[in-house]
Amino acid sequence: MFRQTVYGSLLLAALGLQAGDTVKIAITGPFTGGSAPMGGSTRDGAKLAIAEINAAGGIQVGGRKMKIEAIERDDEAKNERGALIAQELAAMGDLAGVIGTVNTGVCLAGDKHLQEKGVTKIICPAAGSASMTQWANKQDRAGVKDSSIFRFAAHDGIQAAMVVEEAINRKFAKVAVVFDSTNYGVSGRDDMLDQIKKQGDKLQVVAQEKFNIGDKDMTAQLLRAKSAGAQAILIWGIGPELAAISNGMAKIGMKVPLIGGWTLSMSNYIDNAGKNGNGTLMPQTFIEEPITPKAKAFIDGYHKAFKVGRIPSPVAAAQGYDAVYLMAAAIKQAGSTDTRKVKEALEDLKEPVQGVIATWNHPYTKWDAADVTTHEAFRREQVVMGMVKDGRVVFGNDSDRERLRKSATTATPAKTTPAKTKAAPKKK
Amino acid sequence: MRRILLLRGAELIVFAALAAIPLLVVNPYALGLLTLLAIYGILLIGLDVTVGYLGQVNLAHVAFLGLGAYTAGLAVTKLGLGMGPALAAAMAVGLLLGGLLALPALRLEGPQFALATLSFAALSTTALNELESLTGGAQGLSLSRPPVFGHALTPPLFFWLCLALMALVWMLMRNMLSSQWGRAFEALRDSPIATDAMGVGAYRHRVAAFSLGSGLGGLAGGLYAFNFQYLQPQSFNYDLMIILLLGVVLGGRKSLWGAFVGASVIVLLPNLLSNRLLFQIFSASGFALALAAGLRGLVKKITRPFQALAPVAAMGLLVVGGLLVENTEDWRKAIFALMLFSVVVGLPEGLMGFLSLFLAKLFRVPQAPLPKPSDIETILPTHEADGAPLLVLEDLRRHFGGVKAVDGLSMTVRSGTIHGLIGPNGSGKSTVVNVISGLYTPSSGRVLLRGGALPTGSLFRVSRSGVARTFQNLQLFGELTALENVMVALKGVYRSPLPMVLLGLARQEERRAQADALCLLDRIGLRDQALTRAKDLTYGAQRFLEVARALARKPDLLILDEPAAGLAHPDVVQLIEIIKRIHKRGISIILIEHHMDVVSELCHTVTVLDGGKVIAEGSPDEVKRDPRVMEAYLGQPPEPGPSGTSDPSGAPVPEPA
Amino acid sequence: MNPSIIGQMAVSGALMGLVYALIAYGFQLTYATSKSINFGQGELVMVSAFFSLTLMNLGLPYWAMIPGGLLFGALMGLAVERAGVRLALEQKSEGWILLTIILGLFFFSAAENLWGRDDRPFPTPISADPIHVLGVDVTRLELSVAVGVLAIMGAIELFKRRTLLGKAFEAVSADRDAAELMGISATRTVMLSYALSGAVAALAGILVSPITTVGPTMASALILKAFSVAVVAGLDSGFGVVLIGMFLGALESLASFYLGSGWREAPGLLLLILALAVRPTGVFGKAAIRKV
Repeated sequence: MFRQTVYGSLLLAALGLQAGDTVKIAITGPFTGGSAPMGGSTRDGAKLAIAEINAAGGIQVGGRKMKIEAIERDDEAKNERGALIAQELAAMGDLAGVIGTVNTGVCLAGDKHLQEKGVTKIICPAAGSASMTQWANKQDRAGVKDSSIFRFAAHDGIQAAMVVEEAINRKFAKVAVVFDSTNYGVSGRDDMLDQIKKQGDKLQVVAQEKFNIGDKDMTAQLLRAKSAGAQAILIWGIGPELAAISNGMAKIGMKVPLIGGWTLSMSNYIDNAGKNGNGTLMPQTFIEEPITPKAKAFIDGYHKAFKVGRIPSPVAAAQGYDAVYLMAAAIKQAGSTDTRKVKEALEDLKEPVQGVIATWNHPYTKWDAADVTTHEAFRREQVVMGMVKDGRVVFGNDSDRERLRKSATTATPAKTTPAKTKAAPKKK
Repeated sequence: MRRILLLRGAELIVFAALAAIPLLVVNPYALGLLTLLAIYGILLIGLDVTVGYLGQVNLAHVAFLGLGAYTAGLAVTKLGLGMGPALAAAMAVGLLLGGLLALPALRLEGPQFALATLSFAALSTTALNELESLTGGAQGLSLSRPPVFGHALTPPLFFWLCLALMALVWMLMRNMLSSQWGRAFEALRDSPIATDAMGVGAYRHRVAAFSLGSGLGGLAGGLYAFNFQYLQPQSFNYDLMIILLLGVVLGGRKSLWGAFVGASVIVLLPNLLSNRLLFQIFSASGFALALAAGLRGLVKKITRPFQALAPVAAMGLLVVGGLLVENTEDWRKAIFALMLFSVVVGLPEGLMGFLSLFLAKLFRVPQAPLPKPSDIETILPTHEADGAPLLVLEDLRRHFGGVKAVDGLSMTVRSGTIHGLIGPNGSGKSTVVNVISGLYTPSSGRVLLRGGALPTGSLFRVSRSGVARTFQNLQLFGELTALENVMVALKGVYRSPLPMVLLGLARQEERRAQADALCLLDRIGLRDQALTRAKDLTYGAQRFLEVARALARKPDLLILDEPAAGLAHPDVVQLIEIIKRIHKRGISIILIEHHMDVVSELCHTVTVLDGGKVIAEGSPDEVKRDPRVMEAYLGQPPEPGPSGTSDPSGAPVPEPA
Repeated sequence: MNPSIIGQMAVSGALMGLVYALIAYGFQLTYATSKSINFGQGELVMVSAFFSLTLMNLGLPYWAMIPGGLLFGALMGLAVERAGVRLALEQKSEGWILLTIILGLFFFSAAENLWGRDDRPFPTPISADPIHVLGVDVTRLELSVAVGVLAIMGAIELFKRRTLLGKAFEAVSADRDAAELMGISATRTVMLSYALSGAVAALAGILVSPITTVGPTMASALILKAFSVAVVAGLDSGFGVVLIGMFLGALESLASFYLGSGWREAPGLLLLILALAVRPTGVFGKAAIRKV
């Protein structure tokens, strides 16, 4: 008991000490462990943006300039930690908002605490569909009336649609669906199967193979796919296991393309697959090519600040960076650090926000439980197909590069009415 | 009285204070932590049963947490059960599967046991992950708390529910673990063989302990499900298991308080370390503590230098690192590791083991008083021996591969006699004893007790038939006190069924057992050391304690396996006295001994073995003069003349070392 | 089913199983002398691999790096012995279980911060292109793992049998107290065993990294399998781990092919529990007679 009171009083003291003249933004995610490259890149991207804003004097809140204070919490990709951290953040009371989370499970275990207290959160850089659909209408129950949870990621629906579309465009008929056994992989599988159906059942799924985190030998899965005659592998997973797939394919002489989620652009895939990774395709929101001055400044800034030659996950870093700018814009517009007002401002951002991925023009609208895209920032047009080429991700399609270069300067089309369809328009 | 008041008072204060927190502080985060603390309290109390009491590295506990959680979750979502039945189902699954897992794991110890449990945990995660249609697989299972009596459980109400359950578990477990059950668990850890030989039943107690611990794991799992309301199979992985294990050891094994403190550490520490200021306070005070404790240990010479210095070095590293490293959040695991390292090295009995010593001194908590010893007549009533054959061995054989350790042995032990069994090393004495007492199954032949067949191949069943034994290589329950060693073996005292024990309604027989055991200790002169741990007794005292423990079985036949081995002369004299007194109460004895003077003084009949066969039988004097005996001992036929008849006064028969 | 596919599965799996066997052998070395094992062995594999990678990044060629890596592994082994095992052994407690786990946790966190959290490739001069042998595709890289594993195990076994120091090792393994009476320092022998075990872990890291990549979590999946192999084969079984390791590896491959990849580990785990129930001291372990 004695310990208990000591903890309690220390806790209160610490909370008291933190109250100051800053805007508090919490950054959460897995900073240690297997998902750390993503969580860490997001955090570092976000911190880069915070450093820039603070260097410029901070955010204009009401009458005065306030600096941003980042509160970092490592959820270790564990649901239990995620839930506790969410409770802690929800209890802080003076938090302007939360940015982060990679793992869908962590969202499902923790976000309800933030939602209950109305704390604004921008899920970034990833998390599967369930992290948003948990608030939406379902067959058996109605969704929440108002949600303070936003997402800033190319949601799996868009990505899966693009992956399937790419396979169809390339005239494949038989594909193998390969995924990891985590929530992320399994929901990716469901999205892809769903999209195959939606896009007219043009692909025949000849094998569904699963692998575990940490697996090094993928021969069994690949042989099954090979003997079933798969012409392409549609893959959903995270991390070095993806490289093990590419290397395993080279070993058994399986020369079919790998098409999958954006995580295929992470350095732990590209480096470890080496030349076996060439030609792998994946949807991207950001490509580490200095196509615009803004992108160049971001890439150079990141390399310098964190002493790396290449960003572990450029997509995650860029999204973390842009998410901070969105949050900052909302705080400025709200003229307050009250997280509820920030939420309202975020739903109705008047001025376009120039980010590194795009210039965000009214990215979110008022929550509608029948349509989660109200709280989704990314549209199909902000996502491009990337391709691995000699250790880098390049644009898979030159027209995408031109389109992005243009859109970065002209801003995204404002979203006034919620987009109704998630299925992406057909590519040429 | 003062002791009870202090101990119960402390429990009451802590639980009351915990229960009051939600009334005073309105902070959902603090409430979340406290709820998790209560759940982990139950979980660790369960884990402590196997890790602390059974002394096994159990890596399956996390699986029971997961299975319990999923059971409760599925019971609510698929079957529409209420919270009460769901929790009961979660606990039942733990009890059942825990018992089942104990079966193949029964023969395993140490690393093997750890691996078997680890495999079970991995299997259950795989199953939860793969049975997608039932569990939702990796996508997880969302559930909501069902209302109780029509009321939705708000966070404070749910916390009180968890706390109340923990208090209940605490009370029941305290009653159980301080009864014969708890002693049996500990006995099992120190010597499974002796546990069986004392008629306690290693098998069923091990299954019971494992099942019980796992049941608590299942219950905690049910609460876990209702707390987080979202489950994923991967949450219940090896990492969490390691944290739980560390929690039990950090807090202090074999202690409810230890489990509670361990739960506090593993729940609160990682969350508090996120805060830089708190971290610096912790590391600085930890360093000061390590320095003070280390210096004290070194000056008083009660710790080894390494034990004193390593924690100081570790905490010093923490303080320096805290100043150098900008982002302590990144190093959280290393920080956690350094703190744990300091505690495990510096305080091997765990935080609570250390604190309880300190607190006991501070509040002058007295030792529990002992009752008055019972009258020996009520425990071992004297009865007249009739001289009829008590134990009959017929053509007994036991072969190990090609070695014929016992090879066609027949002998009869008559009631009321002290029957010596001697022979050179390797002659098969110990094997005979091990066959009679049930450790080995005979290859062939019969063992009869009072004309009926004695069970073979089971220490436990032989012990229950009225044959008790001591062990040549001491098999005491080292961590138990002398008194508890005897209490474990006491026959015919423990009659209350388990529910009575759990509810604390069996205190009467506990007092009775203490009194009886104290009486037996008194007979061997160890009454003053009743509360000393067996492993801390002198060697001689340990030998006597073996005898007292065997007597507690109230046997018809007592087998003493080299009771005088290694004893100094005064102790031998005392031993002879003790054996004579036992014999006077009408108990028949088989005495295996090398000391010829002991044999000569005590035995009525002596059987001499060599090469697994009887080579002579008769009174001590007769066998000493038997030429075959001398040949067996000296390796050659005796020269006729004075050297042939050894000193009749009883110098030990020479034997090869 | 197509025999060449079965062959391919079995061979791929068995080659992976050899890595389990090598790490399992590291467990055996320390268990023999001290009846203790390093639960943080996986972290030793990982930090040694990272260290070797750093050596190569500093410009050392692959073959010159290997002795450096092994030496580092041996030093780490000694550190574990000193900090985590010796005290517990002196006190005859089982504290080493926790202490080695804790040290592993520390190494893990240190490696995350010193070398980064990302998985990285480990360059090697040995080709990863497949060669076709008897209808089965293997790479030279995989064969090099097999050669390396058998070579170091052979070398250590030879050392134990042929050299004086090695015989002291065997003596302490057989009977610690008797060896001490003969003037052999058990403490030093235990140190030697931990150093050897560390070097074996380092070699495992160097051999497997080109295939699995180097990262903080690279060994967490390997280590549990290696532990299974060591215990199922018997913690005193010597080359028994090779057979069990290859068997388990092949079984996993075949199970994931026939039962579905999610159930990959299930048959192995079930067999393991059964094997332990039938032979608690391991398939190739020496059965002990209960003596009292």
